[in-house]
Amino acid sequence: MRISRGGAFVAAVLAGALALTGCTPADTTGPDTAKDVLVVGKSFDLNTADPARSFETTGGIFGRAVYDTLLTFGKGDATTPIPMVAESYEVNEGATEYTFMLRDDVVFSDGTPLTSADVVFSFDRVKNIQGNGSFLMEGLSVTAPDESTVIITSEKPNTAIPAIITAQTLGIVNSELVKANGGTDAADASTTDTAEEFLNTTSAGSGPYIIETFNTETETVIVANPNYWGEPAAYEKIVLKNATAENQLMDIQSGTIDIALDLGADQLPAIESNPDLAIESGISPTIFFLFSNANPEISKVTSTQAFRDAVKYGLDYDGLLEIAGEGSEQVAGVVPSVFFGALKPADVTVRDIDKAKAAVAELGDIDPISLEYPSDFSVAGISFGAVAERVQANLKEVGLEITLAPSPISTALDSYRGGTEEMGLWLWNPDYPDPADYLVFAPDNIVGLRAGWTGGSHPDLVALSEQAAVATEEAERGEIFREYQLAMNEVGVFAPLFQPAATVVAGKDIEGAVFSAVFGIDLTYIGK
Amino acid sequence: MLFRFILSRLGSAAILSVGIILVSFILTALLPGDAATSRLGERAAADPEIVAAVRARYGLDQPLYMQFFIYLGNLLRGDLGTSIRTQNPVLSDLAQFGPASAELAIAATLIAIVVGVGFGIVASLRANGIIDQVLRVVSLGGVSIPIFWLALIAVYLFSTVNRIFPSSGRLNPGETPPPQVTGMYTFDSLVAGNWPLFISALSHLILPALVLSAPMIGLLLRFTRSSMLEVLGNEYVRAAEAKGLPRHTVVLRHVLRGALVPVITVLGTAFASLLAGTVLVEQIFGWPGIGAYAFRSASNLDLPAIVGVTLFVALVYITVNLIVDFLYGVIDPRIRRA
Repeated sequence: MRISRGGAFVAAVLAGALALTGCTPADTTGPDTAKDVLVVGKSFDLNTADPARSFETTGGIFGRAVYDTLLTFGKGDATTPIPMVAESYEVNEGATEYTFMLRDDVVFSDGTPLTSADVVFSFDRVKNIQGNGSFLMEGLSVTAPDESTVIITSEKPNTAIPAIITAQTLGIVNSELVKANGGTDAADASTTDTAEEFLNTTSAGSGPYIIETFNTETETVIVANPNYWGEPAAYEKIVLKNATAENQLMDIQSGTIDIALDLGADQLPAIESNPDLAIESGISPTIFFLFSNANPEISKVTSTQAFRDAVKYGLDYDGLLEIAGEGSEQVAGVVPSVFFGALKPADVTVRDIDKAKAAVAELGDIDPISLEYPSDFSVAGISFGAVAERVQANLKEVGLEITLAPSPISTALDSYRGGTEEMGLWLWNPDYPDPADYLVFAPDNIVGLRAGWTGGSHPDLVALSEQAAVATEEAERGEIFREYQLAMNEVGVFAPLFQPAATVVAGKDIEGAVFSAVFGIDLTYIGK
Repeated sequence: MLFRFILSRLGSAAILSVGIILVSFILTALLPGDAATSRLGERAAADPEIVAAVRARYGLDQPLYMQFFIYLGNLLRGDLGTSIRTQNPVLSDLAQFGPASAELAIAATLIAIVVGVGFGIVASLRANGIIDQVLRVVSLGGVSIPIFWLALIAVYLFSTVNRIFPSSGRLNPGETPPPQVTGMYTFDSLVAGNWPLFISALSHLILPALVLSAPMIGLLLRFTRSSMLEVLGNEYVRAAEAKGLPRHTVVLRHVLRGALVPVITVLGTAFASLLAGTVLVEQIFGWPGIGAYAFRSASNLDLPAIVGVTLFVALVYITVNLIVDFLYGVIDPRIRRA
């Protein structure tokens, strides 16, 4: 009899719950009725709320709303930094010294005025903490001659500094508050700074929002900063909800979220006819590329010019765009089309089967080449596996046998970073919106070395990359980056493939939800 | 007797746990890949100083056997280490995600027991009739329909087309979880007397729990039916009926009690498979449970988290088996005496 009563009780509870929830559908599917709450779906790559340690996309989205930077970008723009905490700046002729004049009305969320000392502390902390974003301060030093002036000095001419300081990693923190909670900008900050735990629960910024709850796995909530020095935040509360692209598709349709940030081109047909949703499309600054290892010790085949030519001319770039989805673009060089210094669309490599076959004939009888890529990772709905299969088919058409070698990203990264892959299919997300970020592809540089490419083989390219790094005059700089990329394409160690489309899907009544090539989405512009 | 039984079970559980930790360590170490650099960005991973700092921070600069012994030493103090990925103590991660999965699994099990055993009894009492035939199809469907497909259909029907249930999560976005008692939001919100939050938690729980319970319902239905039919044929049942006892008394007091022993055995096994199904259901319903945590930890070679989850799941299995053993004794006194 006990079982029977228990069963009846459970049944009654479930029936009651079904009745209750069934009667109140609008109450259970999210706060879309409340205009003061915005729910944003994002597949989290969130590690920390400490700006100095944060370097991931989600951290950038969140950080942009909580921590101000010296300069930033306007809505949807990724080319011209505009004033934020710094109202203006000057640069010396050699582009080695930047002087920033700070606004005098900026206050942190606790009401403390923001001064140049906070900027120096924040930047030095990033430099010494040895985190993912510490390289941003490489070769830079920062000083404060007075309360409202900050000087950034570079060891070498560096015109990328205005773009670099828009990075959320360089968000300005309340130095006194952070120091009081374990923070330090000392040279040994990597071992002595203990402020992360504090910053994961409390805002120390001057942005329009402050942290309410921070969770790297479920959702992170920010609320309007009552002490914000600028135009007040448009929403009382923004919830960043961790959801896969598949969940975002369901959630945006069911009204659980207001904005979906990770929907791929293949998912959009499901919502295109939905009258309640608006689809904003842009082009992502992420580039997919293929490389052929230039190190003869790794492969005597891929390190030859004939192999690189066979790949470069054998790829069906238009066909690859079909895999990448509607709205994607072939990328002409390593610098994405949305940034200064990019090649023109007319510069793209075009498939030439005759040239490719001639190069294959030159190679003679060779064993199949292994193409490695991450199998458990996709961006904008694009699976590396699908792209790799198309590459394999393209190259087979011109007589090259490719063996696919997928592995989980945690293991694939090891061989990629170790420079041991014969061929690799990878992507590059910008660290900051400036072509200087793409000098990593040059011989002897980080990505170049992953492709086994050392400077000895192409000293001309090394010289060009060095010139590009220190060029200061805009037109000259643009021309050098153009030459650099054309020369890279000519050699063909890297075959730039495409930039995916970037899509923001939002409720029709939400204003300003546009894709940002710098932040993914700038939450501070939404609703304005 | 009972004390010795518990002691021996706990002893074997401890030995088993050490073995599980050892196997987890060895398997993770055998995988190609570098846990220290897998979470670093491209530039940081190319900087030997930063990589060395990360290795030192997580003890990855020690030989594997040292890491193993350090882990065991910390474990004795209740420290499961710090997750490389979330940077939280693994114990606090498990305390966050374990109850989420437990809530889902318990709800699914309760639904399965009520529906599966209930319909199993009905099917046995109407053996070979039209109801039995219908329930046979239902049972077959429950066992054979892929759970991910069922989940997608459920979301489409009940969340997308008809906004009856939320499509993902444990609470509405932005809602503050109830003060933690068990970590199971439905229970904790009731304890806190927060009815709106209880409704929210329950509405999020129902759909994934129903989907997750489907295979278990099918299994329990079949086993209850066949077990009931076996017991119904016994002489003592006919004797009870001959004595003029009401039908429901005979079924519930005499037949069901005897029929439940094999059903409980199946329940234990089904609970194990239910845990495996939880991973898929959590993924589809965006349920932040131990399955999703385990998947992300494994993808990032997060050794402390991987070992922590393995240990947690093993302890769940051991506990469930222990409960099943005790239930045998409660239902069938002959087992207890033996």
